[in-house]
Amino acid sequence: MAQPRLFSLVLLTVALGAQALTPSHHLSLSDVERLQGVLSQPFTDLASAYYSIVGLSKLGAAVADENIPVSNETRDILLAAVSEDSTVTQIFRAVSALSSLGLPLASQEVVSALVARIAKEDNVLAITTALQTATRLSQQAELGGILEEIEDLAARLDDLGGVYLQFEEGLEATALFVTAAYALSDHVETEPPLKEDQVIQLVNSVFSKKSWDSLSEAFSVACAAAALSENRFHVPVVVSTQGPATVSHSQPVLQLLVTNVLSNPMASASVLLESAQSVASKSVVLSQTPFTLRDGVFQLNFMASQPASGYYQFSVAVSGDSRLVANQVELKVKVSTEVAITNMDLSVVDKDQSIGTKTSRVDYPFKAKGSFTADSHQNFVMTFQLVDVNTGVELTPHQTFVRLHNQKTGQEVVFVAEPDSKNLYKFELDTAERKSEFDSMSGTYALHLIVGDATLENPILWNVADVVLKFLDEEAPTTIQAKTLYMPKPEIQHLFREPEKKPPTVVSNTFTALVLSPLLLLLILWVKLGANISNFSLTPSSVLFHVGHACMLGLMYVYWSHLNMFQTLQYLAIIGSLTFLAGNRMLAQKAVKRIAAEQSSRLAKYRSLR
Amino acid sequence: MSNSVISVISRFLEEYKTKTSNKLKVVDAYLFYILLTGALQFLYCLLVGTFPFNSFLAGFISCVGAFILGVCLRIQVNPENKGDFLSISQERAFADFLLAHTVLHLVVINFIG
Repeated sequence: MAQPRLFSLVLLTVALGAQALTPSHHLSLSDVERLQGVLSQPFTDLASAYYSIVGLSKLGAAVADENIPVSNETRDILLAAVSEDSTVTQIFRAVSALSSLGLPLASQEVVSALVARIAKEDNVLAITTALQTATRLSQQAELGGILEEIEDLAARLDDLGGVYLQFEEGLEATALFVTAAYALSDHVETEPPLKEDQVIQLVNSVFSKKSWDSLSEAFSVACAAAALSENRFHVPVVVSTQGPATVSHSQPVLQLLVTNVLSNPMASASVLLESAQSVASKSVVLSQTPFTLRDGVFQLNFMASQPASGYYQFSVAVSGDSRLVANQVELKVKVSTEVAITNMDLSVVDKDQSIGTKTSRVDYPFKAKGSFTADSHQNFVMTFQLVDVNTGVELTPHQTFVRLHNQKTGQEVVFVAEPDSKNLYKFELDTAERKSEFDSMSGTYALHLIVGDATLENPILWNVADVVLKFLDEEAPTTIQAKTLYMPKPEIQHLFREPEKKPPTVVSNTFTALVLSPLLLLLILWVKLGANISNFSLTPSSVLFHVGHACMLGLMYVYWSHLNMFQTLQYLAIIGSLTFLAGNRMLAQKAVKRIAAEQSSRLAKYRSLR
Repeated sequence: MSNSVISVISRFLEEYKTKTSNKLKVVDAYLFYILLTGALQFLYCLLVGTFPFNSFLAGFISCVGAFILGVCLRIQVNPENKGDFLSISQERAFADFLLAHTVLHLVVINFIG
């Protein structure tokens, strides 16, 4: 039941006219059931009891009767709650309790308290609660000030894309506002200052959510639904098709359901088709025709006006009640039909047209008796017409394909048959020109005609004939060329980078020895020159220096063999600083010695000169 | 022509033998050794190929760097150049030599692979 409704709602949404906004969401019967289910949950506290009882009663469900005795003190407490110092919610609850229990209350006092509170609590929920409170007061009280709040609140609504109108506080606030506004408007018998478009946008916002987070949210939606279906001023009407919006010869009647937001049928409405315009040709096929009401469904036999197949834009008006809102609806209706193939002629025409053509007529659904042979000098030609079975009008469906299927290789080639100006379809196969599509594979091909369209009820797949095609040079391989796209491909072996050719070990050994030989020469030269270490003072610092230096050289070797730069630098820092300190000391001592030696030699020279 | 070249060379060698102090000759021997080593490495590269190119470069640069540092040491230590290096004593020159060599060796070992 929900599925066709959803489909028609989508259609409705798509077909939103510029002038008329129609509800894109409402509570379908399954939604109402779900809402009742939510509200029927067993109540655990007073708040949920309130929501459940009142919500269900708004939806028209039966509720158990509760009888509460009241005492004088309770009444005094309730009366005392009506003052400027209590919050709006407290005032509302007190007033509701007093009026439900039938106790008297001073309406003017309540009004002044409310006005004072509205000035202090300026939020949406508070003002909505104030509106609800005002509905419980007597009609003689000065409710004008509170009535104006409806307009102020409506100005605070956010317009979302022109489709939704809701408070930023959310769904519950919006639904409660709708309830309160209509309740108060009914109570004071003044039309609420909401425009038709605004009402529809509010309907969309409140009923767009189909599963409710909390009991209070479900309650607010139930209240809003009740308010919008039963108030004195604005009743949004929902028009949807029963079943798909399609008519055909077998189903000539278009059925419409006209309901309120709670999916209750509007018995008193009358539905008129203002115009039905063909989308393709823009001509008006039907106008000013009323729908007939039968079993709660509005019906119109559209096929009686013999429309051509295609899509039609229906403009429907619902009247009968001055309160109706969104009663101008646009629907898109499809007229479908059945197609028949006539005058199917197959022939093989010689290219130079010297030999006369041999045409065979084939009737659907039979297959041509013989097969047709065409080689590179000939063309294979197929002509046919597509007509509407019921009206005999020529049709041009969206899909008219000719498929040639090679029995042996499984190869398939598809062409499009195109109509000429007289709607006569012609398919011509030039064997020489098209050989690339066939991979030059000669053989028997089964020819199928495929016809399809959205407005056709009988799509056609017809094996018309067998065609033997002979191609000139058989370039294709003799083996069957199955499409091996998705088979595993040959494995690629990864070629690792070849190491470069190294010279033979003998050569490198020789050169190693050669390179090390100058060291020998150096040692010999040094010995010859008389280099010695006789000046080596065995001071701790010099020993440490030499040891440290040797360690550093050793570290270089270890770095090459084991370590990385960071570790080396760490070790180097330690050894290096030690070596530096020791070396500094040692060199300083050496310098002192040297300078002393120089001074003494200079002194000796000076003395000898004198 | 060749006569004068030979005479110049022999004269130079004579002067070198007599005038240069022993210390400097020691350093010169070291420099000669470094030169030979570098030349032999280069010869290998020419003859056999640059296969582990990074190793060749490391070795060659080591020789070149050591030669340069040796030359610097020789210049700074030479008493005839004392006027140019007033603030740098012989010991200081040697310490600089050692420090620079440490850095050179670090780089060379890193690069030798």
